[in-house]
Amino acid sequence: MARAGIKREQNKYAALLLTPALAVIIIFTSIPALTTLSYAFFRWKGFQRLGFAGIENFQRLFNDPFKSYFYMALRHNVLVFIAILVIQTSLGILVGYALFKLKRGHRYFRTVVFLPVIFSLVIVAYMWQAMLDPFYGPVNYLLHSIHWDGLAKTWLGSTSTALPTLVFINLWRWVGFPAIIFLAGFNSINTEFIEAARIDGASEGQIFRKILLPLLAPSMTIVTILTFIGAFEWFDLPYVLGGTNGNPAGAIDTLALMFYRLSFGSVDSGANEIGVGSALGVLIFTIVGVGATFGSRYLRSREVEA
Amino acid sequence: MKNNRRRVRGLVASLLAGAAIAVPALMAMPAHAATEITFWSWRPEDKAFYEAQAADFQAATGISVKFTPYVATEYNAILATALTAGKGPDVMQIRAYGGMANLSDAGNFLALTTKDVPALAKIPAGTLAGTQGYTNKSQFGLPYATSVLGVMYNPDLLKKAGIKALPTTWTSFLAALDKVKAAGILPLGNGSGYAPGMEQLWGAVGPTWYGGNDFYKQIVAGNKTFTDKNFIASLQAVKDLVAYFPAGHEGLDYNTARGLFANEKAAFYIGGNYEISYFRSLNPSLNVGWMPAPAKSTGEKRYVTNWADGGFAINAKTTQKAAAIKFMNFLASKAFMQAAADTLGWIPTISGIKVTDPAVISMQRAIPSSGTPFLTLVGFRYGTPTSSSIMQPGFQKVATGAQTATDLAKAIQTGVASWYKPLTGKA
Repeated sequence: MARAGIKREQNKYAALLLTPALAVIIIFTSIPALTTLSYAFFRWKGFQRLGFAGIENFQRLFNDPFKSYFYMALRHNVLVFIAILVIQTSLGILVGYALFKLKRGHRYFRTVVFLPVIFSLVIVAYMWQAMLDPFYGPVNYLLHSIHWDGLAKTWLGSTSTALPTLVFINLWRWVGFPAIIFLAGFNSINTEFIEAARIDGASEGQIFRKILLPLLAPSMTIVTILTFIGAFEWFDLPYVLGGTNGNPAGAIDTLALMFYRLSFGSVDSGANEIGVGSALGVLIFTIVGVGATFGSRYLRSREVEA
Repeated sequence: MKNNRRRVRGLVASLLAGAAIAVPALMAMPAHAATEITFWSWRPEDKAFYEAQAADFQAATGISVKFTPYVATEYNAILATALTAGKGPDVMQIRAYGGMANLSDAGNFLALTTKDVPALAKIPAGTLAGTQGYTNKSQFGLPYATSVLGVMYNPDLLKKAGIKALPTTWTSFLAALDKVKAAGILPLGNGSGYAPGMEQLWGAVGPTWYGGNDFYKQIVAGNKTFTDKNFIASLQAVKDLVAYFPAGHEGLDYNTARGLFANEKAAFYIGGNYEISYFRSLNPSLNVGWMPAPAKSTGEKRYVTNWADGGFAINAKTTQKAAAIKFMNFLASKAFMQAAADTLGWIPTISGIKVTDPAVISMQRAIPSSGTPFLTLVGFRYGTPTSSSIMQPGFQKVATGAQTATDLAKAIQTGVASWYKPLTGKA
């Protein structure tokens, strides 16, 4: 009886403390999401809502002139996800492992690794844009001075190198984040497993592959799902470096950038398409929601119990 | 005793926390709230000019003007969002023609009369049309300047390259570009990274290929289409110029491209008169010449593309209507327009303004005999997708070889025909 009373009291306080956070989520996430969903079913003239349009906006998204931009942006998002998952996650594991194995200077190296993550994204983007400037940037200047002229490209200016360059900048900025998550994962592994393996004569490589990596699965799940969400909602870096059109020539156009362009228009070409933009927003939400849910379920089912 | 001390400590802490919030907030408030109007623009590069003008206005009327510029690429979205939310500035710069149609039709702007702004009576009807509504034909804006496209050149670099006479035909223009390139100078500062810049480049060089005013009248009436072979030729002319763009032109942003010309690295820049103030801000001693775009062949007409660049409008929901109208009249005054002509290189819409910049004088003289509308901007931005929203990224693909001029023409025709009735159903 007394326990039930204490439980009720605790639940009451838990509800009270959760209310502000729930209110913020409802006001700033749920309501805008539901509103965008509703916008997708109406016709628009600028910012004026007209009559009900049914699924017309979704149909327009898959026809000219939006179709080619949509498929190109989707392709870029998929490529970015694969590249970041493979390269950034692998590097994150290696850096996390290096931090795990460090005997001295943990705090210093952890700070150095994580520092780019806390930089303002806009500053990072402009810094790299200045460094990679084909006319005035130090990167090309250095490459020319050591006679590696072939590598002194217009990295952000060429349609073939712009997207990989953005992936590199993203990697530079974000690799510290999975590294810290994986470091936490390594630290959470029971050291008895490692010691037992050493006693049995396992090498460091074998310990890493057969014990540490499998037990790192929960961290991998988190990083993979976050990478998926981040890759399909990628907006900030392409916007800052490529503008609303994902310059050069749409080479870094993404679904989120296309959503912004459709919803708010672009300079000089004036008009916007809120209906089609909202339809795209619904599509992005669906891709991310479904992908994250099923991906999370699948990866969790493969996690090894220690 | 202990509880009393705790209560006192808590009270002191609360008072200090409250003071930490209240004091800075109170200090940030103005001592006296004088009449202030807000004024937005898409020209951050003109901030110094507008702030100086605002100071003159305040000295004369006591009304302060808070000038807030936004980057041009974000201005449309910021303004539209603010106005739709029922906020926005008291006075603002607005785009011309279709660029403002959605906003004006939604009732965001105060309709101006000649009683409110007498200067409107002296502006030509064709210029006034640039800031009239689309469905509601009221006068919503004061057109402030005529913009002109053409070819700006650096006479010193041309002399260095051994070019003695300015090219007048397409062939001689390409030959001049080759000569400049051979002299180790960048022929063109333009790049394809700034999509609107590509449309403006076409706007300058295109009319001689598609047929200027005749074609404009025909296509607006629906008697010709964007797939007309002459129109396609005008798109191809832009592709032909890409060979003279700087290396890495796909990633060349607007300011860097203009900077190449301003810093005397490029001999030519194809764009509008509004670039001149930016060139001079980077390099006050820059020697700039202007010429109309070359004719497609000897004997053909050279055109000077021009349009009402934009306007100043008053927010229909302003709470400072009288002050805003006073400011509007200041913006329409000869004093302001003269200052704009001198500092920003404007070609003002009101008469009696003396233009002193030699390049701008050339443009002003060329308009009466050679003027032609900026076809895509004037005629085809009233519906979606606009011709510009297809042409701008389309040119970027043409520049990289990802699309042909013919395919771009077809895409523009398909897009515009979806809403522009005279062209509907025509391929």
